[in-house]
Amino acid sequence: MLRKPLAALVLAAAALAVAAPALAGNGGFAPVPPQSPNAERITTTYWVILAFTGAIFVLVEGALIYFIVRYRRRGRPIDQEGPQIRGHNRLELAWTIAPVVILAIIGTVVFYELPGIQDVPKASAAGPRLEIHVEGRQFYWNFRYPNGVIAVDRLRVPVNRVVRLEVTAPTYDVIHSWWVPALGGKIDAIPGKVNETWFQVDKPGLYRGQCAELCGIQHAAMLNAVEVLPQAEYDRWIEEQAGEQQNPRGETALGRATYREVCAKCHGFRREGLIGPALTEATVANTEALKQLLAEGRGAMPPVGRDWDKAQVDALIAHLQAGSQGGG
Amino acid sequence: MAARAEAPVYPRPWYEGRVTSWLTTTDHKRIGILYIVTSLAFFGAGGVLALIMRLQLAQSGEHVVEPETYNQLFTMHGTTMVFLVVVPILAGFGNYLVPLMIGAADMAFPRLNAFSYWMFLFGGLALYSSWFASGGAPSAGWTSYVPLSVETQGVGQDLWILSLHILTIASLAGAINFIVTIHNMRTAGMTWMRLPLFVWSIEVYALLLVAVLPALSAGLTLLIFDRQLDTHFFKPDAGGNALLYQHVFWFFGHPEVYIMILPAMGIISEVLPVFARKPIFGYTAIAFSTVAIGFYSMLVWAHHMFTVGLPSFLMGFFMISSMIIAVPTGVKIFNWLATLWRGNLRFDSAMLFALGFLGVFTIGGLSGIFLAAFPFDWQAQDTYFVVAHLHYVLFGGSVFAIFAGLYYWWPKMFGRRLGETLGKWQFWLMLIGFNLTFFPQHLLGLLGMPRRIYTYRNDSLWEAYNLASTIGSFVMGVGILLFLLNVMRTRRRPDARTGNDPWLADTLEWFTTSPPPPHNFDRVPYVTSARPLRDIRRRMAERSA
Repeated sequence: MLRKPLAALVLAAAALAVAAPALAGNGGFAPVPPQSPNAERITTTYWVILAFTGAIFVLVEGALIYFIVRYRRRGRPIDQEGPQIRGHNRLELAWTIAPVVILAIIGTVVFYELPGIQDVPKASAAGPRLEIHVEGRQFYWNFRYPNGVIAVDRLRVPVNRVVRLEVTAPTYDVIHSWWVPALGGKIDAIPGKVNETWFQVDKPGLYRGQCAELCGIQHAAMLNAVEVLPQAEYDRWIEEQAGEQQNPRGETALGRATYREVCAKCHGFRREGLIGPALTEATVANTEALKQLLAEGRGAMPPVGRDWDKAQVDALIAHLQAGSQGGG
Repeated sequence: MAARAEAPVYPRPWYEGRVTSWLTTTDHKRIGILYIVTSLAFFGAGGVLALIMRLQLAQSGEHVVEPETYNQLFTMHGTTMVFLVVVPILAGFGNYLVPLMIGAADMAFPRLNAFSYWMFLFGGLALYSSWFASGGAPSAGWTSYVPLSVETQGVGQDLWILSLHILTIASLAGAINFIVTIHNMRTAGMTWMRLPLFVWSIEVYALLLVAVLPALSAGLTLLIFDRQLDTHFFKPDAGGNALLYQHVFWFFGHPEVYIMILPAMGIISEVLPVFARKPIFGYTAIAFSTVAIGFYSMLVWAHHMFTVGLPSFLMGFFMISSMIIAVPTGVKIFNWLATLWRGNLRFDSAMLFALGFLGVFTIGGLSGIFLAAFPFDWQAQDTYFVVAHLHYVLFGGSVFAIFAGLYYWWPKMFGRRLGETLGKWQFWLMLIGFNLTFFPQHLLGLLGMPRRIYTYRNDSLWEAYNLASTIGSFVMGVGILLFLLNVMRTRRRPDARTGNDPWLADTLEWFTTSPPPPHNFDRVPYVTSARPLRDIRRRMAERSA
């Protein structure tokens, strides 16, 4: 009778522990399944901490429920006192030292795993590392590849390569935070400060994330994704982009992507207007006015295109002026 | 005879009217009640903001509010709950109880005390006036990180700064008052080691406020200079430093967390022994762990900044200091458990809330250990995991303790006991609703849902957890409404009246009448232990035997 609640609790905890990984993608009972060595090590520290805190949880809640049941009044007079125990030095010393030991173990595990999480490997079997410059801006991510190619929000990288990200934000922008849960922890994009993070993925696929630091009205729309491609496919894509961005003819992929990820979040995918006004053919007709608007912003609109490369400005304007049927 | 009949009838002076006497009062008990009532009103307002947010998040892609409104909602909710609810309601308990518990007639500076209250009220009104300001309420979060808060248009952000400035002055004056009172006005025999643990917690609360509020005031001043005078403390494009604000804010902000939890823990340390009919287990350890937590709370601030790119040795330092602070917190939890051991437990609503505190605060403490481990924090920072953690400590911790305190001291304040049936309904609805609201948020955070977003990915698991959370929040809301109902019914219920000491308690506030006279005590007994009332009860029993 007395052991029942405790047994039920232990059973429930055990059932939870068994059921959790069985759920697709672990159901949130652990960080999303890691796809990069640094994310894997973070997940390892999670399980180590969960083991200790889980044990403490069962101990404390079990004792609480047991005492509540065991020492309830049960018809004793209200003023009947329990034994007047004022403390117990050795016991209190024990429950001071035990947590210190547990925390020391957790701390040791963290420092043991840290280099594998934080230090960017120089290279991998697939080749030298790929360095990409990442800028968080209201409300999109701008990427610059070593060969000058520009991409927005969706970062395409080759499989198995170490990818090092230099993460920052323009000095006139606000703080953002780069995060793709499957590929490791987040790192803030801070105006005037350059941070770094990295990942290395051995499975082609699309890994989603989003900005994790409040950056204004469309913070919720500041999504990012990493698309991991087989090497050959990546090589084809990056060359196609380099060619198109150096010698643009009419509408380009960069122009479409820039509209979709930079403009559409406020002006709508079909230019119908959301938070910002609708974009009619008349509003986008004046090239010089558009350039000025992109560089300076107006009212609630941030200067989204300030210090963009000419290629990106031209690509967007070409897309905007290609007519409303161009849409998103 | 004739002279007697013609004796002049003095009219009551204007300041003794039903309303004016509350407006002009310098009585610590009335000021305490004003603090508590005002904070509860703001608690209702902040709660409504939270429910609107939960409606917006019930499903993905809802359109209950506009994105801008959503940002205003969480900014106002956070600011309200921290600055206008938890901190001032604890000041209210402190005001009411500290002089009574140490056998004093009032606070050291009664008029300063009234000043603190009125500044608090005006500060709160300044914040809420921002709903009607040009540009609406502030929208940069309760932390108001720069450069976002520098660039935000409209005067809402400026009113936020003004309001917090006023509130820091209120808290600072109140804190100094507490310190002076506790140091100088303890009755004969009330040594530090006989001080009620709640008074210990208010002492540390006040010392922390004095130590860290000036940092907040400085940060706010620099922020308003940047906004209005075009200075460049925080503007990176003019050579300022965006991270400076975060350091300044969290140097205040983390101790603020303990400012909000230590007096709540003090309430628990008063309630548990009375309802377990035992002395608190390890009085000295609990008193000194309060001091230790207060001290270490000033050394952990950068654990809020693990993702900004600090050097590893700094993150290591702040991880270790954050873990060290878990040790005295654990000591308290184990000591409270041991207080229950072999007791004669009675489960009045006050005790239920105290036990609920123990159960849920433990979860909040444990999730804090995850967040202290900085590589894991890189995953969890700024996600719903953090939202869950902070609500487990501040709602499951502070608010549960505050309700324990309200049920426990209501008979002292008004001479009437709150109804037990409604109290128990309230407790169970809040406990279930609370866990249903906030437990799934841990999972959402691990799945990748950042905080402060007005809508989220169309994913069945995200929607399921969010819907559970929304349902839980309304269950909690019903529980809190029952408290209001309970208060109204208690005013009229004839059987609600109680004697001076309905719980057979241990501390000095129960020695006087309920409610106490304006001067508190006709005579104060010489204090011979930390449980003066139990000593008196025993002496009386011996005498009659």
